[in-house]
Amino acid sequence: MSATAGSHSLAFRVMRLCRPSFHVENPLQLDPLDLLTGEDIFDDPSAASHLPRLFSRSKASTNKSGEADLTYRNRFELQNPTDAMGIPGFLVLPQSFGAIYLGETFCSYISINNSSNFEVKDVMIKAEIQTERQRILLLDTSKSPVESIRSGGRYDFIVEHDVKELGAHTLVCTALYNDNDGERKYLPQFFKFIVANPLSVRTKVRTVKDNTFLEACIENHTKSNLYMDQVDFEPAQNWSTTILKADEHYSEINCQTREIFKPPILIRSGGGIYNYLYQLRMSSHGSEQVKVEGSNILGKFQITWRANLGEPGRLQTQHILGSPISHKEIELQLVEVPSKTISGMPFLIHLKLINQTDKEMGPFEVWMSGGNSHEKSITVNGLQKLVLPKVEASGSTDFNLNLIATRLGVQKITGITVFDVRDKKTYDPLPDLEGLWGYYPGDPLENRFLLVAGRNAPCSDNASSTLFASGSFIDHKIRWDLTCRTIPALWQFTAFISYVVNLGHRVVLDFGLHFPTVRRAQSSCSGNT
Amino acid sequence: MDVEQNDGQTLTSDLQALSVSDPLSNQFSSLNDLCYEASSLQELASRGSWRSILDKVVRARKLSLLQKPHEHLIYLCYNVLALTKLRKYGEASEELDSLEDFDSARYKYETHPEHYPNRSGSMVPFALRWIHAEIPQRLGKRQETLDRLYSLLDFVRTKLKEKESKNMNFCVDRWKKREAFLISSISSHHLSHKEFSVCLALLRQLLNSDPSNPILLSKLGYIQMQLGDLEGSKALFNRVETLMTEGNPGALLDEVQFKNLVNRNKALIYLVGKDYVSAVREYEECIERDPTDVVAINNKALCLMYLRDLSDSIKVLENALERIPTVALNETIVVNLCSMYELAYVNHSDIKRTLSNWIARVAPDDFDSSCTRI
Repeated sequence: MSATAGSHSLAFRVMRLCRPSFHVENPLQLDPLDLLTGEDIFDDPSAASHLPRLFSRSKASTNKSGEADLTYRNRFELQNPTDAMGIPGFLVLPQSFGAIYLGETFCSYISINNSSNFEVKDVMIKAEIQTERQRILLLDTSKSPVESIRSGGRYDFIVEHDVKELGAHTLVCTALYNDNDGERKYLPQFFKFIVANPLSVRTKVRTVKDNTFLEACIENHTKSNLYMDQVDFEPAQNWSTTILKADEHYSEINCQTREIFKPPILIRSGGGIYNYLYQLRMSSHGSEQVKVEGSNILGKFQITWRANLGEPGRLQTQHILGSPISHKEIELQLVEVPSKTISGMPFLIHLKLINQTDKEMGPFEVWMSGGNSHEKSITVNGLQKLVLPKVEASGSTDFNLNLIATRLGVQKITGITVFDVRDKKTYDPLPDLEGLWGYYPGDPLENRFLLVAGRNAPCSDNASSTLFASGSFIDHKIRWDLTCRTIPALWQFTAFISYVVNLGHRVVLDFGLHFPTVRRAQSSCSGNT
Repeated sequence: MDVEQNDGQTLTSDLQALSVSDPLSNQFSSLNDLCYEASSLQELASRGSWRSILDKVVRARKLSLLQKPHEHLIYLCYNVLALTKLRKYGEASEELDSLEDFDSARYKYETHPEHYPNRSGSMVPFALRWIHAEIPQRLGKRQETLDRLYSLLDFVRTKLKEKESKNMNFCVDRWKKREAFLISSISSHHLSHKEFSVCLALLRQLLNSDPSNPILLSKLGYIQMQLGDLEGSKALFNRVETLMTEGNPGALLDEVQFKNLVNRNKALIYLVGKDYVSAVREYEECIERDPTDVVAINNKALCLMYLRDLSDSIKVLENALERIPTVALNETIVVNLCSMYELAYVNHSDIKRTLSNWIARVAPDDFDSSCTRI
């Protein structure tokens, strides 16, 4: 068996057989009426009545499908206005190998040609994919070799392989055959390609009281637009999930064509992104939540996308982790806070200190830390340090803090520090007790975004507050006002923005959220030192 | 009531005369009434003899055969169109530069009362405005073309509003067609750059005003399919089929054309589901009904290839070119056939050269022979 480099009777011809595409062009087709008459000719009623007949007469004589039209009329005359769209329905074979990505299926037409003048016999053909880690067999005719391939003849086959590895791949085609001289020849041919990563998924987990929010941003690294067929978050065992979406614009809802024409979720090539937002809840009900030490697994994503003509690709992410639940010795809960306070007037917040250990703790000292009082917007009104009695194991104690706000706007109550006098242990300033954030699920270039806000404390009344949101678009500042009523712990509001862009230009949008200003009711300021 | 009749060359808006539908006094009884040797221009254009059109224009100008201002414009329009078809974009652009602004007084009938007594309005052929917008993109200035096309769309919409307010129904119909044409043209530019979202938003406007247009619905389906929204395209094709069973052909399609459209759409659905056998079956039904349905022929050949039958796929395309060359000879079919040759033959340049020689004998002037990749 010689593996001679030259003079093989056989040769492999390989063509990647991804799905075909529709032929798209910018056609140069016109209505002859628009060529041979002035544009205002139809202002004349006589023209209006005679011209169409004149042109249809000249068209009709050669347009019947039964008669042979021996002209290239169709390359010039517009049959219907929509023909100008340039998508007549012809499919085109893939014209190049293109790029190939993880999660796609590699499909190839392989043809082994006999270009010699003689017949070859007993052809054993093998096709394999060789990667760094493994060798995968796609086709093997050793058990039943092809008896013969005549001169000028071919043997064709199509192979498919689901791409599950990144990096260099080689399609190895080999043929073992008897040539005309009876010599057994060996023909190997190699076709290399590289598999790249099509998507990246960035996640962010936020917790607002009982609600856990998962933001996922999918970025498209491929060279084509990807249609997101399915993006499903599969929650872990003890979680349930709902997807949050921004509302449709009223103009879309009233649209006549809505039933048959829903705008698709399409992520642009080369860096386009799309955001998804999920709300997760623990399935186990009841006030006592099982707190397990260590990290918690929230679930994973199953993503199916489609490229041209529905060419599918599938990927699964790794496990998405929530914030680790660490076992805290003491927990501070905000029981009640007034929804509206007046700058300069003292107000009470009601807190609960919970001893989560199995032994008595305390007594405690509580104060607000963080800089001197000139910098802070909320300070303690009255005694700066509050003393709390001992708390028994697994017990709790309620107390009030008398605070005063020196500045307008939604302010965060920060820096509440708890000090265990007996054990001489300071517990780090407990996390901020106010949570408000904005989010834009979907395509950031769409004209709507969703605001989600959560407060860690319920409001004592349903006073409304006004939220201002603004964004900047390249160098222009846009501001749009939204009003909403506060809802106990969580609200969401869809806002629509509109802007004018010159088509074909790239757009960068930058969002920010500003918090409301509480109107000053009185300017008097009384305070106790 | 005698009417002054000038050699059929002058256009008159004498309503009294024209409202009588008397063939002898009809100003528009033949194409040549519209413009000097218009029927010849049409004939040459239909045969794809664009070089002959260039010659004809040169001759008409040299021998001063054009007597009316509007004829100069029409000949210029054909000239630019021919140059563009022959891919001589620089020359086409220069020719257009020789024009004044389209809205200038020079191109209004009322500025030339000696030629057009009692007629007013613009004599600029609408095609000229459109070609003027299309040229920059072919010279690499895509943004310029888009800006011009969108401006032209505004122009058309302004005209439409004006005509609608005056209840000029024939006019409105014509300007509506132009609006649809422009929106489609703009979409083709976005499509070729894969700007699908913009494209769909534009076409949605078109669909809203013409929701039962089976051709438009089908093309939208192709776009949805191209970007991967198979469910979306299915819904659109189902709507087209419903329109056919409701017996709603409109003026757009005759029975054969409508049935073939529905079959071809069905075939596409099978194709994307990788059921190539059923797709071939649908296409064969089309070809049986209309042997000149080249879209069905082309797509059938591709299906055969995906069924591992390269030989037959080649035969289907070769057969069509031989049997119905003037319908089948287009760049797409040639590209597909050449791809198949490259796969089927180790020494494919011979067979491609044979094809190329045949094309040179048969093809129209504007055929782009680079598609053979020789």
